[in-house]
Amino acid sequence: MTETGARIYDVGYRRYDGPRRPPRWAILTVALHAVQRVLGLRRSFRHKILPLLAILIAFLPALVSLLLAVVLDQDLTEDDGLITYGDYYFFIGGAIALFAAFVAPEALCTDRRTGMLGLYLAGPLDRGRYLLAKAGAVVAVMLLMTLAPPLFLVSAYAVEGLGPSASGLPGLVLRIVVTGVAIAALFAAVGLGIASLTTRKAIAGVAMVLVVLVPGIVAAIAIESGGAPDELSLANLLGVATELALRIFGEDPSEGAIGRVSTALVVVGVAAWTALGAAVTWLSYRRIEARQ
Amino acid sequence: MEPVETQAAPVVRAQGVVKRYGAKVALDGLDVEIGHGVTGLLGANGAGKTTLISLMLGLRRRDEGAMSVLGHDPQTAGIDVRERIGYGPEHHNLPPEVQAQDLVRHLTELHGIPPRAAIQRASDALWQVGLGEERLRPVGTMSTGQRQRVKLASAIAHDPALVLLDEPTDGLDPVQRDDMLALIRRIGTEFGIDIVVSSHHLEEVERICDAVVILDAGRMIRSGTLSELRQGAEGLLLDVDGGHEELVARLRADGLEVELAGDTIFVSGDDPHDAVRDAVADLGLGLRRLEPRRRTLEDVYLEASA
Repeated sequence: MTETGARIYDVGYRRYDGPRRPPRWAILTVALHAVQRVLGLRRSFRHKILPLLAILIAFLPALVSLLLAVVLDQDLTEDDGLITYGDYYFFIGGAIALFAAFVAPEALCTDRRTGMLGLYLAGPLDRGRYLLAKAGAVVAVMLLMTLAPPLFLVSAYAVEGLGPSASGLPGLVLRIVVTGVAIAALFAAVGLGIASLTTRKAIAGVAMVLVVLVPGIVAAIAIESGGAPDELSLANLLGVATELALRIFGEDPSEGAIGRVSTALVVVGVAAWTALGAAVTWLSYRRIEARQ
Repeated sequence: MEPVETQAAPVVRAQGVVKRYGAKVALDGLDVEIGHGVTGLLGANGAGKTTLISLMLGLRRRDEGAMSVLGHDPQTAGIDVRERIGYGPEHHNLPPEVQAQDLVRHLTELHGIPPRAAIQRASDALWQVGLGEERLRPVGTMSTGQRQRVKLASAIAHDPALVLLDEPTDGLDPVQRDDMLALIRRIGTEFGIDIVVSSHHLEEVERICDAVVILDAGRMIRSGTLSELRQGAEGLLLDVDGGHEELVARLRADGLEVELAGDTIFVSGDDPHDAVRDAVADLGLGLRRLEPRRRTLEDVYLEASA
């Protein structure tokens, strides 16, 4: 038998003398890996379903609004329109919270459960850099929900000639970016804080839903029936996030107790929630012993 | 601090290292130097092996003492140290649905190898450990032995200066164990990577290591190259046809140190050949085996522990 195409490959071990990236690149490596994992990239189709569904839900108001706008030839994001930019987060707030309940545990819990945390920390990372990478990944993915849809909407309106005037566009985009980043950071921090307390993704997910629902309900009951101050409504995670959006876009505050709270306190409420989530995450990882 | 590193400098140096977990002292003034080649870290469970590895990686802070790994203090320059170290942990858990090649590639990138080169090196490393054909399989579908190989591939793919392996044969059957030991030996000799292997299996360490550090209750009780440790107190090993008790009694009466294990008699002492020959001849026993007794690592370990 003659094998004219046969070749011998040397697969012997070779030393590596090519370029090496400095250790800080490890942060980006872990962040990109986490983004891929959360979005189901390089994984089977079933891992892609949930993120795709969530992102679709986030874009749905934008798509509907755009469709109607094109049909009616009118910008429907104005105050008297179908949906305003400030309102947008009210429509997709629940989806954002549920997405955070999926994303943060997927990013954090899995590493502890599978021993990857030990492998990461035995590499050129420390806990701070590891958490920075994970937080960056979760915020980046959350931005697909909080930033991409309004940006898509304003871009589509601009292309269709329905958007704001050229002079008003930079200001609007800035408000969209600030709102999107703030809400993404808020839900990422709270989600990571909860995920840092357990290795079980399901438990973390359920806990996140409870944190979104229970304090808000308790606060509402206390305010309505117990005469508690309106500021207690800042305990409503979803409420404080959507209220922040309304205030940033300069729209009318929502009806109810949180609408009566000053803008400064709403900002403080969002910052406090974000800081609380970040602090819980950091403190949890300070005491977690990575399996060696 | 600029690292001072020469080929002759020890890879790891610890001086008076103390590590406590609450009231428990895990390392108790440990002084040790680990040189180039394959070094075994021996000791019973709880002797301090894993704690020492954690300190070498800079993952825990020592309470007292000084340490340098590859010329750096891992406590203050942990990231720089860990960038040059390959680590194979004791546990077998790895992300189950990730393909072996993706996992190794990711960990290779983590150590600074650019993505394109990382793909190639991950593939090469998996071939080296005998998983070339299996490299696209999810890790969760692999056997314990294959996972151990994946961990080893991850540890060597980024071309580290030092590889730390914590119980690398744990959970392997005898055949897999032999393969793994041969592979570790090959990495340490042919690939030119310094290796520290933590194990509580004396025979494994004896088979693959150039040098040994023996820990007991957080202290170094013996260290050196295998040839150094085996020196001294040699003797003879003999088998005879019956009459074991009589022969042992006679040799002891001649002032020799004698142990009887089954049908094999171990005789210690300086040049016991003449005494053994005379005793066997006088008792009229048939001599089936007579050979020099090599001092094993087990002897060293037992002596040191005692």
